[in-house]
Amino acid sequence: MWKSLSSLFKKDCRMMASGKFFLVALGSLLLYTLFIHFGYVNFMEDNADIYNVYLYDPAGTYTQTSPLIHPVASAEELNGALAGDTGGVGICVKDGNPDIVLYAGTEKVDRHRADYALSLLHPGSGYQPETVGDNTPEMKQRREITCELLFIEIVAVGFLGIASVLFKEKQMGVIRVHSIMPLKKSLFVFSKVFLFLVTDLAFAVLMTLFNVGAKEAGGVLPAVLIQTGILSLIMALTGFGCTMLLKDFKQFSLVYLVIALFAATPVFLSANTAIKMDWIDCHPFYHVYMGLKNAFFGTPVTNPVYYICVVCVIILLFGIVEAAFRKEMGKEG
Amino acid sequence: MIEVKNLTFSYGKDRQALHGLNFTVEDGEIFGFLGPNGSGKSTTQKILTDILKGHGGEALLFGKDLREVHTQEFFRKIGVLFEFPYLYANLSALDNLHYFSSFYPKEQLRDAEEVLEELEFKKDFLRKPVSSYSKGMRQRVSMARALISNPKLLFLDEPTSGLDPAGAVLFRRMIENERRKGTTVFVTTHNMLDADLLCDRVAFISNGNIVALDTPRNLKEKNSSHSIAVHYLYQGRREERMMEAPELKSGIPFPYDELLSVHSQEPTLEDIFIQYAGRRLS
Repeated sequence: MWKSLSSLFKKDCRMMASGKFFLVALGSLLLYTLFIHFGYVNFMEDNADIYNVYLYDPAGTYTQTSPLIHPVASAEELNGALAGDTGGVGICVKDGNPDIVLYAGTEKVDRHRADYALSLLHPGSGYQPETVGDNTPEMKQRREITCELLFIEIVAVGFLGIASVLFKEKQMGVIRVHSIMPLKKSLFVFSKVFLFLVTDLAFAVLMTLFNVGAKEAGGVLPAVLIQTGILSLIMALTGFGCTMLLKDFKQFSLVYLVIALFAATPVFLSANTAIKMDWIDCHPFYHVYMGLKNAFFGTPVTNPVYYICVVCVIILLFGIVEAAFRKEMGKEG
Repeated sequence: MIEVKNLTFSYGKDRQALHGLNFTVEDGEIFGFLGPNGSGKSTTQKILTDILKGHGGEALLFGKDLREVHTQEFFRKIGVLFEFPYLYANLSALDNLHYFSSFYPKEQLRDAEEVLEELEFKKDFLRKPVSSYSKGMRQRVSMARALISNPKLLFLDEPTSGLDPAGAVLFRRMIENERRKGTTVFVTTHNMLDADLLCDRVAFISNGNIVALDTPRNLKEKNSSHSIAVHYLYQGRREERMMEAPELKSGIPFPYDELLSVHSQEPTLEDIFIQYAGRRLS
């Protein structure tokens, strides 16, 4: 069995190398790393003070405001500042009472901006929220974006990678030759899935080391690798199954779009924005994504139900894929 | 080697592909399975190579029912040449052979270069990718893949398809050599010449039924009209006369100046197939 598996694995490596898959993965790694280091982190830093607060206080009621407040000399100047900085918040003090002036946004964000502006009017007083975690804002951003890009890489690029290799083998007809080879047919599936798993794990290690940093990576890598492994196995098996069941790469591209959109879009929206969807708990990728995100923040999933479900899904997918593979082997030329 | 009793197979409720086939193939025999597209010959071969499951009746290979064989041990004993040369196009002939042969025990294997040499494969192409090969070269590599494991039972699907006449002669010689070594050969083909020249016995299959099974010679003799066409010159004119074979016992029974040719009017296997199945082979 080991000899057969080793032959299959070597052949799969050659197929992946000839399809430039490793090169694409390395290119993605480089691109993501450059984006995080020179794009995303700087961009987020520039936008850290997005809610500028402008104060028009003609009577000078407030004398000890936060240094983050920008005083203005007239109501016209206040309106002009808000017209140019639509994310900013204006405070117009009339008869000693502060009126909030906003460029209209969404209700939740508007309330948040108003609260923030009023807190700057009374620095040092009132309710101070308790903070958890010891990440600097930059480290928080690095962990978040690394997690998102790793998720995209595995869901989209890895899924497409296994399909491109398999469609080649399907077109060449060599899958049928394996039907008369003295080997366990499940090894053919296992070898490919294993190769993608190893590649994705290596990718996750490098991505975390380069973008979260070697010092921080040590603490989170074990949990990150477990979640990466889960996602990689699910996506590789799904890609394998789709390739066996679909006729050609054109059909696959359509399914790929649907799966990538279905898998990624609602998950990112739910996990990273104020948008909440009632049904998101029923979305399987949401749990895997949150598992990965929590792993990056050092709070890995401990609920055994999650792992039991994941193992069941992987076993089920493997069974479906093996059946589809056997069906493909028996097809006419 | 192969014993098939009342073999049936259905692709669904309404698609009965085989309707109770019965035949045997002896050890060391070259057995031809002839039929047009959709007649059930590929289905039969897939059942016998254990690719298709769920057949009815009995199919015994190497003395064991197919349902009871230990699959890997079974696949070690057979070699299969598919109708199309299925190979990894990005790998060379040698890499393909090394890869596929890696699933067999070493002691069972022949040397890849030696087999390719027997198949008159061009040495310059041994390490070039298959994508640069002609169809004939690919067919040679596929044949080498089927032979490299020294199979006891060889399944060949249209073995000479895509080969030039010299290549077809070479392949027939290779198949003969295999038989001399004791290998049993099961050939599925449309090609009447292959069947006629190679096979000890042939079975005609039509619509999932075997309509005739015998040696090519017996089939021809049984279905022959025993007539003979004689071409000759007489008084400066070219003439043709049809006669029954027994009439020739006492020599040519008519006057002639010069005898040009004597042809037996034996039917071809294709003629016999049409006679039994009511349609052509291709």
